[in-house]
Amino acid sequence: MYYSHSFTRKTEKNLLDLALRFIYHGDSMQIDVKAVSSLLLGWFVPGLGHVYLKKYWKGGIFFACILGMTCLGLFMGGKIYSFQTENPLTILAFFSDIGNGLFYILSRIFAFGLGNLRTATFEFGTAYIAGAGLLNFLIALDAFDIASGKKK
Amino acid sequence: MIWKSHLFSMIIYAVFVCIVLAILRRDDRKSQIKYGLFLFLVMVIGGLLFGWFMYLFTL
Repeated sequence: MYYSHSFTRKTEKNLLDLALRFIYHGDSMQIDVKAVSSLLLGWFVPGLGHVYLKKYWKGGIFFACILGMTCLGLFMGGKIYSFQTENPLTILAFFSDIGNGLFYILSRIFAFGLGNLRTATFEFGTAYIAGAGLLNFLIALDAFDIASGKKK
Repeated sequence: MIWKSHLFSMIIYAVFVCIVLAILRRDDRKSQIKYGLFLFLVMVIGGLLFGWFMYLFTL
C-alpha cells in the first residue's frame, strides 16, 4: 500500500482510501483496468463503455440519445461553455458540458456551440446540451459499475 | 429555428432522459418500460404544474 506513507493526517488518508477503493477492485489492490477503461471510453464517446463490455444494445441506445440531445441542443442555438471565472455560475455549466466528452472536444476545435442568444430556443438548447453531458456521466459510471462487478 | 414551443421541447427532453434513466436503473424490459413511463409522466405533469405555479407570480 504505497499511498499510505505519503499521508499523515487521518482525514486525508480516509479520503484517499475512499477514492482508491473506487478505482481498485475489491481488496486485491490490483487496479481494475477494464473498469477504468470502460469509464473513460464511456465518457469519451457516449455508450462506448457499454459496447466495450459487449452490451451493444445499451451502448447504441445511449449513443443515440446523447447524440440526439446534443445535436438538438446545437440546432436550437444552445451554448457549450468553456471554463471561465468571470461568471462563476458558468463553471457549473462547463462541468455539465464536459460530460459530452468527444462532442465537447470537437466543439472547442471546430468552434461550434457558441450559442445564439437572439433565438428563442437558446436556453432550451443550452439545457439540452448540459443535460446530455450529465446523463453521459451517469452512463459512464454505469459502465464502470458493470465492469467492476457491482452491477449486472 | 426548430421547436419554438417550449412545451414540445420539454416533452422531447423528458423522452430522452426517461429512456436513459429507465435503462440505467432497471434491468428487465417490462420494468424498464413501466419505470420510463412513470418518470415521463412525473416530468411532464410536474413541469406543467410548476409552470402554472410560476404563472401565479405574474398576476
